[in-house]
Amino acid sequence: MIKKNFLRNTGTFLVFGGPSIFAFIAVIVIPFFVGMYLTFTNWDVRSADTAFIGLANYIEVFKDKVFLGQLWFTLKYVFFTVLIANGFAFFIALLLTSGGRGEQWLRTGFFTPNLIGGIVLGYLWQTLFSQVLPYMGQKYGWSLFQTSWLTSTNTAFWALVIATAWQLIGYLMIIYIAGFSGVPTDVLEAASIDGASRKATIQKVILPLTIPAIVICVFISLSRSFLTYDINLALTKGGPFASTELATYHIVQKAFLSNQYGVGQAEAVVLFAVVAIIALTQSYLLKRLEVES
Amino acid sequence: MKKFKGIRWTAMLCLVLVISMLTACSAGNTSSTSNSQQEGGESSQAAKNVKLTFFNTSAEVNTVFEDLFKKYHELNPNVTIELIPTPIGGAQIQKFQSLLASGNPATIANLDAGTILQYKDKFLDLEPEKAKYEELTKEGAVEGALLEGKFLGIPWSAQGYGLLYNKRVVEEVIGGPFDPSTIQTRDALEDLFKKIEAAGKAPVMVHGADWSLGAHYLGLTYSLQSDSVDENRKFVDSLMDGSVTLADNPQFNGLIDTFDLLKKYNARKNDPLVADYNKDSADFAKGDAAFYFMGDWTWAVIGTLENRDEEFGLIPVPISNNPEDFGNTQVAYSQPKLFAIDDSGSSAEQQEAAKAFLEWLVTSQEGQEAIVSQMGLALPYKDVKVTSTNVISNAVEQYVDQGKVINIGVINYLPQDYWSMTGASMQKYLSDIIDRNALAGEVQAYWIDQARK
Repeated sequence: MIKKNFLRNTGTFLVFGGPSIFAFIAVIVIPFFVGMYLTFTNWDVRSADTAFIGLANYIEVFKDKVFLGQLWFTLKYVFFTVLIANGFAFFIALLLTSGGRGEQWLRTGFFTPNLIGGIVLGYLWQTLFSQVLPYMGQKYGWSLFQTSWLTSTNTAFWALVIATAWQLIGYLMIIYIAGFSGVPTDVLEAASIDGASRKATIQKVILPLTIPAIVICVFISLSRSFLTYDINLALTKGGPFASTELATYHIVQKAFLSNQYGVGQAEAVVLFAVVAIIALTQSYLLKRLEVES
Repeated sequence: MKKFKGIRWTAMLCLVLVISMLTACSAGNTSSTSNSQQEGGESSQAAKNVKLTFFNTSAEVNTVFEDLFKKYHELNPNVTIELIPTPIGGAQIQKFQSLLASGNPATIANLDAGTILQYKDKFLDLEPEKAKYEELTKEGAVEGALLEGKFLGIPWSAQGYGLLYNKRVVEEVIGGPFDPSTIQTRDALEDLFKKIEAAGKAPVMVHGADWSLGAHYLGLTYSLQSDSVDENRKFVDSLMDGSVTLADNPQFNGLIDTFDLLKKYNARKNDPLVADYNKDSADFAKGDAAFYFMGDWTWAVIGTLENRDEEFGLIPVPISNNPEDFGNTQVAYSQPKLFAIDDSGSSAEQQEAAKAFLEWLVTSQEGQEAIVSQMGLALPYKDVKVTSTNVISNAVEQYVDQGKVINIGVINYLPQDYWSMTGASMQKYLSDIIDRNALAGEVQAYWIDQARK
């Protein structure tokens, strides 16, 4: 009977989980391992013969100072994007769960940027930064906006952060709203009866109880901003003078423009390792802060 | 028990499905290579219908090509052509590579000559067609399309670039008709710029994108060394092995001297890297700047603009004060895109159909109409039945007819990332982040780095 149950469970599982597992294996797992294998070869679309070259590609990665510089640039970018996106999303979610008028409309409004594809969104902000803001800056004498933000490395960095955060905020906000609705009302009532201020309630009650939502949001924003490519392409094209290329952008250029597939793929594996380490560490550390209500 | 059987069946079915699909994935490569022979053998059966695919990197004219395919299908009902579109300025080569790597290449590819050279083993050698095309095309067109001596791509469009000028603005400033041949030196150009500036107009528009600065402007360095592509290739080789230093090269220094001049009189001086191609072109076409470093392709943007000026022309970029120097009276000219036919996964029948279609495309009234009037391109063929509306390419054509051109074919042999890498250095120079020595150093470092690969 045990064996029969086991078979039945496997069958049920395959019926419902099979298609997703198949898709996952076909488009994530297999390409990942084939990609790993390719990093040890000198494979090239143009040549038919592929030779095993060991770790040469990885040595090349650590010699590629441009990539290492861009990895650092990416880390800075991710840090500020995650901070800004989560900060704003948290407080917007807080505002939109306090029972004001028109909440549903505002939620929809904040969520909309997330529905716009990265390329379109990038072009939209590009027009803003290089046309609209300089025009207004010159007209009203705002020194901050007199020249385009996309033509100097520092301001282009912030332009990237702002555009990505803007896209992410709506999505994270929804998760935070869900997290807040999980905070038991009796705890909140108890806090208000005890005379806790709004600030103290947020700090001592809401924040600790929404740690799971924060873990998810930080994880999502981390991985999504590490893998930003479309906004980078549409907004700055890596410019000015290739100084705002995020790691993903550099990898694509390396592989497909410079025709160094092996090195590009090895860089992708290194990026994967960096993202995995950071994302797992943060979720491990944050999870320890979780409390029961 | 019956119920249990049903579930087991489903489970088995799922497993079989998963396994069969996985093996299908991995077997994809091997089966497609034998595809060509198989289809070749079955050609007698399938002689009626041929399906061709067309990979297009001239994404801005996708619809024009699609209309042509429909017309051709009406004339030849047994040939169907399907467009594989690519995004404008986007990941075109990636798409091409993935088609190739998955063993499913396009029958016809409209590619940059340099890309064809990179994948030369994958394309059909058109040697048997060469004599025919030499008859059909203008002098030098087939020779200019040869890649390492091989005829791998059929030329179909020619482009030229230099300093475009807005005739109305220039003539208003000098108070009479403008003769472009009066500007053959840097000093003459500067005098004219001064007059334009004094008249309250911006003298020149320098577009700050890396492709324009890196490939078109700095790229002239390699083409100006001599009028022979082979000599120019040798120059690039000596840059790579370090036997020539860029900082001491007269052509490089001449070009950068002129670039300093363009920088000084640039309409975008305050924020030179904004690089909005449509806006730069439109401002030039409406007379906000008298000159514009660009090519005849910009007609696609300005040709349809409202309230633009009517007449435009072009002059070479002067690189010295000696009118005799090579480049001061010649404009850069090339056949940037070629039609190549796949030889890695297409059947002999498909290849024949592709050849016939391409010949129709460049010689028939419909094809020429599409290329010349709808795409606004110059067709380097002798018997062109359609006159172009592209004022700028007509101006280029005059230089071609007089033989006053710089053959920029050397760029076909340069690594594919040269324009983005050296273009970034040019952007730094344009925005005064580095000086000339550092610019020469960065560009030279790029070439020495290439030699290592």
